[in-house]
Amino acid sequence: MLRLWPLRQVAKVQNVLGGLTQIATKSSQPVPAPELVEVFIDDKQIFVEPGTTVLQACAVAGVEIPRFCYHDRLSIAGNCRMCLVEVERSAKPVASCAMPVIKGMKVKTDSPMTRKAREGVMEFLLVNHPLDCPICDQGGECDLQDQSMAFGSDRSRFTDNAFTGKRAVEDKNIGPLIKTIMTRCIHCTRCIRFASEIAGVDDLGTSGRGTEMQVGTYVEKMFKSELSGNVIDLCPVGALTSKPYAFTARPWEIRKIESIDVMDAVGSNIVVSMRTNEVMRILPRLNEEINEEWISDKTRFAYDGLKRQRLTTPFIRVNDELVPTDWETAFVKIAEKVKSTEHASIAGVAGKFADAEAMVCLKDMINRLGGEILCTEESFPMTTSGQVFGLILIDFRSNYILNSKIAGIEQSDLILLIGTNPRLEAPLVNARIRKTWVHNEVCVALLGAPVDLSYDYQYLGDSYTVLKDLTTGKHPLCQALSKAKKPLIILGTDCLQRDDSHIILNAVRELSENVKKTCSNKDWKIFNVLQQSASQVGALDLGYQPGVQAVKTVKPQVLFMLGADAASFKRQDLCYNATIIYIGHHGDYGAQMADIVLPAAAYTEKDAIYVNTEGRVQIGRQAVSPPGVARHDWKIIRALSEILGVTLPYDKIGDVRSRLAEISPSFNYPGQVSDSGFETQAYKLQSELKPKVAEPCPNPIVPNKLKLRDFFMTDPISRASLTMAKCIQACDESEKNPYSKREAV
Amino acid sequence: MASFRSVIVNSYKILRQNNGVIGSFLKLFRHDDLKWGTCIGEDKFGNKYYQNNYYFYGKNRWVSFPPSVGFDFDASQVPPEWHRWLQYITDEPPSTHPLPKRNWMADHTENLTGSSKEYVPYSTTRPKIEAWVPPKK
Amino acid sequence: MATNRLVQQGVKQVKPLLSVDRTEARRRVLNLYKAWYRQIPYALKAFNIPVSVKRAQDKLRELFLKNKHVTDIRAIDMLVIKGQMDLVETANIWKQRTHIMMFFKDTVNPKPTDFLSKFYEGQD
Repeated sequence: MLRLWPLRQVAKVQNVLGGLTQIATKSSQPVPAPELVEVFIDDKQIFVEPGTTVLQACAVAGVEIPRFCYHDRLSIAGNCRMCLVEVERSAKPVASCAMPVIKGMKVKTDSPMTRKAREGVMEFLLVNHPLDCPICDQGGECDLQDQSMAFGSDRSRFTDNAFTGKRAVEDKNIGPLIKTIMTRCIHCTRCIRFASEIAGVDDLGTSGRGTEMQVGTYVEKMFKSELSGNVIDLCPVGALTSKPYAFTARPWEIRKIESIDVMDAVGSNIVVSMRTNEVMRILPRLNEEINEEWISDKTRFAYDGLKRQRLTTPFIRVNDELVPTDWETAFVKIAEKVKSTEHASIAGVAGKFADAEAMVCLKDMINRLGGEILCTEESFPMTTSGQVFGLILIDFRSNYILNSKIAGIEQSDLILLIGTNPRLEAPLVNARIRKTWVHNEVCVALLGAPVDLSYDYQYLGDSYTVLKDLTTGKHPLCQALSKAKKPLIILGTDCLQRDDSHIILNAVRELSENVKKTCSNKDWKIFNVLQQSASQVGALDLGYQPGVQAVKTVKPQVLFMLGADAASFKRQDLCYNATIIYIGHHGDYGAQMADIVLPAAAYTEKDAIYVNTEGRVQIGRQAVSPPGVARHDWKIIRALSEILGVTLPYDKIGDVRSRLAEISPSFNYPGQVSDSGFETQAYKLQSELKPKVAEPCPNPIVPNKLKLRDFFMTDPISRASLTMAKCIQACDESEKNPYSKREAV
Repeated sequence: MASFRSVIVNSYKILRQNNGVIGSFLKLFRHDDLKWGTCIGEDKFGNKYYQNNYYFYGKNRWVSFPPSVGFDFDASQVPPEWHRWLQYITDEPPSTHPLPKRNWMADHTENLTGSSKEYVPYSTTRPKIEAWVPPKK
Repeated sequence: MATNRLVQQGVKQVKPLLSVDRTEARRRVLNLYKAWYRQIPYALKAFNIPVSVKRAQDKLRELFLKNKHVTDIRAIDMLVIKGQMDLVETANIWKQRTHIMMFFKDTVNPKPTDFLSKFYEGQD
């Protein structure tokens, strides 16, 4: 907590007053169970731990106290006064969100005094709040609206005595994502606290006092954070609303579908809001183990990319130009080509958004045809020697997933980040690290580029020699690593996209094994990989090879691309008369290169399974139907297999899922994550097969995404999104803004 | 019985104005009507406008479409300035009392429905999904 | 008691809907057929159906023969009741033209059953 400057001052005072605060609960000796405090909420006796607030105690008793400024995940501000309750033997009503319980306290949450207090607070709020609910985007999901209905008075005593009109505040421009109507602001300061505590960007603040108080950035600049969209959800009124969503839909018209995000490998839980077969917006869904209640800006705002550059009809290449056609023609064309080629020369590449069902169908089809080469676009060292064949590393799941889980980050006391920029690769993992850094005093060290991670870290440089020093124990950090109770080593995947990746992976694996030897906690998983694409872990679970090296080596004649848009290979890398069949949803690199394009569904348009970087299997639900004659990915492959004469034995999605479960039992348990095993065996095998010759690693270990600008456009959906383009433009402009904080690097 | 004489006179005038028996027959075949009257004027499309107050009000003004349109004639081929005379909005034909020509006035076109130039309504709402168009080489 | 139930089961008969035997059921079917047959010219005129009387009569015959395999008297009665309801609705012009034309739908594509045709049709 001491790492948050506003709280630091409070803590100092509290320490002086007698050390009431329990900072950083990481003491090793077991804390004796504190005696529970007896309180009475509306004459109901309950027992709560000392230090809980009256508001939390009321929640335990099942009484919901109205509030605006209080939020579970933010520090307590106590400035909205909506949570006033009467406490017996107290002269005034007390703000329950900031008041710790006292033994024998008698709280009355529905007494005349409490009700009058709420009504008065509400009246004051409404005096300074415009009555523009009919044109307000928050209308229908507004805390102020709801609470004024429930707790407010039925009439107003507001008279504009001086005929000056209501209080009005100038709107602020804080970027292309958040629309501000500052007159509606009720000064709850949730956005300010979110920015400084969770996003780690001290951009927002208040100026002035009383009626002159304003929330803003002081000078006009962009609210430059990858989590900025969350202030829209936090804002209890319509002061901060979504700019792309402005005036498009009302909450009572939309249907909400609970789904899974695929923009990164975190697999954030989302709610897709749909109206008339159109995705209107995307909101976060609570999942304590993954994204808590936040989502990144790309997840939230890239949905307009789902409406542009879409493949709505099959294409075939005639005279070097793609012409629209129908499914039967396209299938027949593929069948002709497949019939005339040698079947071993058929390969498949899965891209970033490929779902598990489509991948297993493609793999089964190509295997039935006699092809063996199935790979993902994103590379990962397969073997300790860097050769293509012989799958050693990825036979063990613990080698490629985030073993200690996202929620596990909170338990760790030392985090070593290698070649990764989690802030841009997995913003919610970074938010977890920051949360741990703020509350648990975790030490963070970074080997890679000196990027802005929103928290302080020890920078170790970016050269391979540092990594080597760490493995041999020469580095000063080694002592801290060996002393740490629960150290974490998180390896990014950007530095594994090169030819020398196996050397880095070997070294990191060796380092984690060395740390493990000295670590007192034997069950603790030290080695973690932070994947970046939503399909990668699922693909590796299903037996795909990581990286397109195999395709480049074998030069297949028929290549199936399952949404492979990362431009990881060119036509020249294939056989001279190769036929490329692209199955995907956006006209991007893959479709431009292809000979036959088959339109498929994007992640909001299909029921599909994705495996996140922890190895957690999650099911995304269909919100809208695929555009035009596009079909679900697995159905395309299933239908094609029938044309090619190798009919796959599943007609329903349930059959495909049974097949998935046959390959990996984890697909049977969606939403859950099981511990990875066999780490020691995996490492033993790895160290035995490791080439004895020490190879130098010439290139520095740096991630690709360095600045916020690099975050927004990374995949076909976000590349097609106008909102994301505007974000990049705003980032570029903010570089020129002298008041904007410089990003590191 | 003045009518018998007038029938004879009218028939004679009709026959004379319509170029004899054959011409009258063709006229009747084409227009389903046989009348005689004074030609009030002609517009730029070749339509001729007649008037004969011998016929009752409502039948005393008519238009004769040019042979060039054949049987493919309809009321929309009458330009608006003649339409107002033909429909008794005014008694002053545009041949003697020409209307002012403003520069915002468009040329008259007949109703093109059924032809290749017909108006086809189209949606002006933007499609929900913008489809990808492959780049042309 | 037990014997009582046994006796009851032995003589148990299904309750007839309308007809008690086949002759009666047959008579009801024929009556319905005749009633429809007589109604056809009026119905065609009332609804302005673009179908000749002969063709409508053939269709009537076809629709009746479609159920000729039904032997259960109760099932026959049920079909007769339904046909009677249809007839009343037609005679009173409670139906609309499209409902009459539904009898003549010959060109409706059957719903796809196998995976590939479902895929081409785009429906499950």
